[in-house]
Amino acid sequence: MATVVEIENLRKEFGSVRALDGISLRIDDGEWIAIMGPSGSGKTTLINILGGLDSPTSGRAIVDGTDVARLDEAGLTRFRAEKVGFVFQQFHLVPYLTALENVMLAQYFHSTTDEKEARQSLERVGLGDRAEHLPLQLSGGEQQRVAVARALINHPRLILADEPTGNLDEVNEQIVLNLLRELHQEGHTILMVTHAPSIGRLADRRIELAHGRLAQISATSLKPEPV
Amino acid sequence: MMFWRLVFQLLRRSRGRLVVAMLAIVSGAAVISALLNLDLGVQNKLTQEFRSLGANIVISPANGPPTMEGAATPSLMREDEVLHSLQRLQSPQVVAAVPYLYIVARTQDTPVVVTGTWLDQAQKIEPTWKLEGNWISSRDDESHCLIGRAVARQLHLAPDGQLKLDYVNRTTQCTVAGVVDAGGTADNQVFANLHTVQSLANLPGQIGLVQISVSGAPENVADYAARLAAALPSGAQLRPIRQVTEAEGSLLGRIQFLIISMVVLILILTAFCVLGTMAALAMERRKDVGLMKSLGGSISRIMGLFLAEVGVLGAVGGLIGAILGVTLSYWMGLRVFGAAISPRWEIFPVTILLMIVVAMAGALPLRTLGDVKPAVILRGE
Repeated sequence: MATVVEIENLRKEFGSVRALDGISLRIDDGEWIAIMGPSGSGKTTLINILGGLDSPTSGRAIVDGTDVARLDEAGLTRFRAEKVGFVFQQFHLVPYLTALENVMLAQYFHSTTDEKEARQSLERVGLGDRAEHLPLQLSGGEQQRVAVARALINHPRLILADEPTGNLDEVNEQIVLNLLRELHQEGHTILMVTHAPSIGRLADRRIELAHGRLAQISATSLKPEPV
Repeated sequence: MMFWRLVFQLLRRSRGRLVVAMLAIVSGAAVISALLNLDLGVQNKLTQEFRSLGANIVISPANGPPTMEGAATPSLMREDEVLHSLQRLQSPQVVAAVPYLYIVARTQDTPVVVTGTWLDQAQKIEPTWKLEGNWISSRDDESHCLIGRAVARQLHLAPDGQLKLDYVNRTTQCTVAGVVDAGGTADNQVFANLHTVQSLANLPGQIGLVQISVSGAPENVADYAARLAAALPSGAQLRPIRQVTEAEGSLLGRIQFLIISMVVLILILTAFCVLGTMAALAMERRKDVGLMKSLGGSISRIMGLFLAEVGVLGAVGGLIGAILGVTLSYWMGLRVFGAAISPRWEIFPVTILLMIVVAMAGALPLRTLGDVKPAVILRGE
């Protein structure tokens, strides 16, 4: 199976604080990975680096053949538009754009917009009838589904979800998790940060971080990793 | 399409804040377009105002103008030759062209300067005169004359009084139609029919001076004067009245400098107003920009949206302001010059363009959004 993500001795320092301390990891195409660990363990920092939102202090982070650490600002921008799709805990939809426009915004920054495809993407997450609604007119779960539709619209190689159910009630949490499960079954590679062990167990592998280091990897089908 | 859809949503979302910038742009555009319209229109209006000062060109005999003292042996020109030249160069610019013949006659044993002229043109060529009595409407009216205020006082004459004029061994008589208050040398003169004075002095067909009032911009007047000078007979020469033309040019120059200075000042002030609004807007938009960057938005594409937004703001504000400004200048023309200044259509694109530039300049604080780090913004810092 092809490797989508390859991390080698990744370090990230914020001043004197070491957020990531020599992490090495490999993620294969179509894997669903749960990154777990206490607050401040470096989960979000790792996902930000893999998503091209942040740069490592040292080490390599190769996503779909591109070393994120070597990209300049323009390269990171293209990388974010083409290689990854984000789903954030706070949804982060543009409040004055409709659900449809929020999805089309990602298309716009990627290349050209296709309203029909954007509508299909919303239908895919069960929001075909809410396309013209503003985020404020949607429930938290619906907003997160819009964010999933936005993350998928440009067919990224890697979906990065930072606590995607962290702000949702139980019902909406299940809807979003079912959606992620479907995406996984369709062959998408998903890297998900979560605190909840029950959610982490849905993934192929669970990676525990502590103080910026890999503490444990557990999986239904464990693959050998250089820890 | 998506670009303008986003620009429209940005405008709609920030309309509360943008109203302040829009008001500044509309106000600035209104004053600027009013001033520019005035600047373009004021030249014509001022030229018309200057024409109320009277003639700005004179034609005199080539060997110098006649003096009152030398009136007994004046230098003269052929009336038909000079008028023929004027007729050949007929122009709508010419407000009035009036011939004069000066002699010193006697009345009640008192010497008095008698000016033979076209009395029907007196009001046009000397618009500042005040008159007690009636103007003379017919050029052929040889029975009436006008007298200066000082002459009337000295000779105890009033309108409808009879005036007898003696010159060598000839005599003529006229009825005083009106008394002129000119506040100058005309107060000491008698104005009679040109033909009457030519007959009295036995100088048929002779004139000593032609005064011409020409309207138009200084360069147009100079152009007309040059063409007329070339067309005049050899015994006549043309002279511009420098006090009038120079004052006109100087005043126009000063007014234009004043207007341009005010336009620049208002542009700067408008840019500062927009700048204040945009600085606040830049703070508000940090999260939007962070999110857009995380979705792969390059700073050039994101800034393109914001610049289009301020461009639309400048264009719409400029258009509304230009309409208000041109209306304002129309009203100012009525108030200041007593005649409306017609709208100049070139004002609209110029004002709109200026306002777009000002809005863009005022949008400088948005440049700080280029430094936004998406990871920092999405963390909520």
